[in-house]
Amino acid sequence: MPIVVRLDVELAKRKMSVGEFSERVGLTPANVAVLKNGRAKAIRFSTLEAICRVLDCQPGELLEWVDEQATQ
Amino acid sequence: MPLRVFLIVLFGILVLLQTFSLPGQFAHMAEESPDLAHLRWPLTAVAVFWVLCIQVVIVSTWKLLGMVRDDRIFSDASLPWVDVIVGAIVAAWVALLGVFVALAPGWGDPALPLVLILLLTGVAVLGLLMVVLRALLRQATTLRTDMETVI
Repeated sequence: MPIVVRLDVELAKRKMSVGEFSERVGLTPANVAVLKNGRAKAIRFSTLEAICRVLDCQPGELLEWVDEQATQ
Repeated sequence: MPLRVFLIVLFGILVLLQTFSLPGQFAHMAEESPDLAHLRWPLTAVAVFWVLCIQVVIVSTWKLLGMVRDDRIFSDASLPWVDVIVGAIVAAWVALLGVFVALAPGWGDPALPLVLILLLTGVAVLGLLMVVLRALLRQATTLRTDMETVI
């Protein structure tokens, strides 16, 4: 997917574990793994809001567009 | 649950019909009117086949009801059972058409052909309804599959 979720970077910056993160956001660890691995196809705004609230960041810091055609 | 009891009772009645009533009825017909005796076994076979089609629909409905209960109805696994129902209705309709074509010209009395035409129309409408419901199920399954990937 050309949209990359920079979740691992933001988690590392805050030294937050995946377990704590999933618990505070209210996601299952399996879904957090899907987000981190870049296999997510869609995300609810409510989920995005919860992530931003927990990490105290903006959606723009989490999501990044990568031009797939240019990298290939 | 009441629906499942109803399906079991219905299936039992159909088995009785299939094994005793229908063959008995046509044997009786052959004795009463010897001029129709040659139709005894073909009519028995067709009647038993129709009942078989209804039984197939009942079994598929049973399976689909189970899937609804387990919240698996909007999955690809439910589509084959709907296809079985559509297939059974089509088979029953074709058999009905065969009976109509084979018997209708011989009758002076228009009552039976009329009943057969009504039945043909009714079963055709039922089949079309199933095709619409099948399309509905497919679209709902796609929607559900899409929604399940949303985190």
